[in-house]
Amino acid sequence: MSDPRPGRHYRLDDPSPDVAERLESARTYLPAQESEPLSDTEAPVTPALDAALAPPRKRRWGLFVVLASTLGLGLVQAMDTLYAAALGGDWLAGAWSLVGILLLGLGGKALVAELWRLRKLRRHARLRARLDEEWMQPEADTSAHDPMALAGALRSQMELSTSHPHWQSFVQAHQPHHSAHETRELVAHHLLHPRDRAARRLVTRMSGETAVMVAISPLTLIDMSLMAWRNIAMLDRIAALYGLQLGYASRLRLFRDVLRNMAFAGASEMATDAGMDLLSMNVAGKLSARAGQGLGAGLLTARLGLRAIAMTRPIAFEPEERPRLADLRREVWHQLRRLEDGSKQE
Amino acid sequence: MARRRALTQEIQNLIDRGRDRQLRLAVTGLSRAGKTAFLTSLVNQLRHAGIDARLDLLKAAREERLLGAQRMSQPDLGIPRFPFDEAVSSLATTPPRWPEPTRGISELRLTLRYRTRRAHGLLGDTATLTLDLIDYPGEWLLDLPLLEHDFLSWSVSQLQQMGPERQRYAREWQEAVARFTPDDIVDESELASLAERYAESLRQAREAGFSHLQPGRFLLPGDLQGAPVLQFFPLPGVKESDRATLDSLPSTSLYQTLARRFRYYQQHVVKPFYREHFRRFDRQIVLVDVLGALNAGAERFEDLSLALSTLMRSFDYGKRSLLNRLFSPRIDRLAIAATKADHVTPDQHANLVTLLEALLAEPIKDLRYADVPVRALSLAAIRATEAREIEEEGRRQPVLRGHGLDDQPLLIYPGDVPRTLPSPDFWQRQGFTFTGFRPPSSDGASALPHIRMDAALEWLLGDKLR
Repeated sequence: MSDPRPGRHYRLDDPSPDVAERLESARTYLPAQESEPLSDTEAPVTPALDAALAPPRKRRWGLFVVLASTLGLGLVQAMDTLYAAALGGDWLAGAWSLVGILLLGLGGKALVAELWRLRKLRRHARLRARLDEEWMQPEADTSAHDPMALAGALRSQMELSTSHPHWQSFVQAHQPHHSAHETRELVAHHLLHPRDRAARRLVTRMSGETAVMVAISPLTLIDMSLMAWRNIAMLDRIAALYGLQLGYASRLRLFRDVLRNMAFAGASEMATDAGMDLLSMNVAGKLSARAGQGLGAGLLTARLGLRAIAMTRPIAFEPEERPRLADLRREVWHQLRRLEDGSKQE
Repeated sequence: MARRRALTQEIQNLIDRGRDRQLRLAVTGLSRAGKTAFLTSLVNQLRHAGIDARLDLLKAAREERLLGAQRMSQPDLGIPRFPFDEAVSSLATTPPRWPEPTRGISELRLTLRYRTRRAHGLLGDTATLTLDLIDYPGEWLLDLPLLEHDFLSWSVSQLQQMGPERQRYAREWQEAVARFTPDDIVDESELASLAERYAESLRQAREAGFSHLQPGRFLLPGDLQGAPVLQFFPLPGVKESDRATLDSLPSTSLYQTLARRFRYYQQHVVKPFYREHFRRFDRQIVLVDVLGALNAGAERFEDLSLALSTLMRSFDYGKRSLLNRLFSPRIDRLAIAATKADHVTPDQHANLVTLLEALLAEPIKDLRYADVPVRALSLAAIRATEAREIEEEGRRQPVLRGHGLDDQPLLIYPGDVPRTLPSPDFWQRQGFTFTGFRPPSSDGASALPHIRMDAALEWLLGDKLR
């Protein structure tokens, strides 16, 4: 163990920190000098299980190559036609090829945007993992990382400007001596709580409305498409609250992740909730079959919404502040009851 | 009339305790650990809550539910009030001074007013929490472990626990007392001079940074100055195996006289102090000046560790229920804090906490066994320095800016805090010299700067402010 460094005095008129960076020159060490192997990252605790549960990693390179080459070849051909048309004076063909180029340009732009948003989703997931790793342990050795730098990364990921009031109030609350865990608490309060509240309101409203819609819709087919449409819209808005703009592909991926999460990770939680769900659906079913169906659909939406919040929120919830399905269940039930009462009065 | 008031007060207390609206917080720390600064800062922060105090880690304050606090007249009128105003005014002088060390017991009662989480409830939307605090000289606290001993076992343990350096201070007294045997008849004035020598050795040891010094009243006699009850000392050379012969000595013998005075000291000085002030606590914060102990050296560090672990056995820990909340309160939550965290740079705080946990390893094990949650943290009740950075040899070097105790401006890297206690040869080579700072300039009317007072309050009171 090396000794702790002794104290040192500095003169008060020492230069300010923003001295230009100095470049390090090459250095040679004696071969006999003590050195140790570069430490490699820790393996996960249950590698086999994690690998089995993790989604299979598919890279759709084929699809991507086909799309890109179609765009590229189309572009070349359209240029060629345009050139030939300009030489031959065939103005109509020239105009068509111009339209073609425009179309290909739009397609290419959409493709790039999709890829960009997918990348952003992936970056979001990475940031989440990093925040979890570095901020979750209470008093771990965090001197290596600057908690404020991580908070800044989160801010830019959430697309807040430095003058945003939420960010400003966080900056005011943050002190240089705050540890990573304390910084996390402050970030959660100043940046995330307002968004959590909005997201919760959204899920409540959407699940209630879905329940009512399914309860009154005359056709099963319409039920299904209504639910799918509304759920995807809800997912979109929740993601937007936490600073994620979803494209087509990224939306699909997030939706898939949420569903997978519900199927695997959330199964144990579901077991506790399912009992109550079944009971309330039974009770609702006694009132009317439609109300039972509606309640089931509403609860599914609520569960999906909560799962989506938990997955898109940059910092995982503390156990006691996690929004619960039980609170939402009551509100969905109230919505349906209102419908029931309304129909009785008429 | 006064009696009736006392009774109603008593009943009110009982009702408050039943509703869990009253907390007694034990602020425990040896002398110079920062108890008075902690209490001053606590009152100041809570008074300024919601206005200009930064209590972001206290959930109720962060959610803007804490409305503030008020000092109330304390329940026990026979005890002086905590000298808050004096402490504040000594901080507001130019140059500012730390508050005077405590020389006697004082009490403090605060009521905190806060908005409850659920805005509509049976009891209205604001609630109050009464917080009782006491301040006392840290020296007296060390008398509490004395209650576990009788004179013989105390003598044995005292002489056993003296390390080589402690022995040096006690040598003069030991030479003087070696002339007597337990069955000698010693006259009053001789006894008094022997006791005075013992007290002098304790005082010297305290000057040198030792903390496990008993009896505490020898260091700070208060109103007992010169009374025969303070004229005793541990008797060297006695053994547990001689108990029967020692007990059969005549009552005028040296051993019996000392044993009588020891018993009297236990019964009439320590016990009332314990009964009246230390039995009934709900929460506790143990303040430890880890940096001071590091400065003082390895033997003092061990000494501090021993003092704290014997000390913490004097408190009742355990889970609370309605019944024992009313009739035999126990400490159900505990914070241990390394004070003066502002004297090192923020990157060293984690090490400071680790070292603190190492220092209190034994009591922490007992607390875990009793299933009492403990949290270790580093705090500065009144932050005297400002954390900054300078550029040195191409890398960033965290430094502190503040004023030394002599009012000289300082820009300093105070040194690393070790994660564990360094090996003995390190102390000979280098040792530690953490610099002292004077308090920051304040006008006495604004909130004091601090480090993690809010975290400590959240841990100690947070669950009651819902």
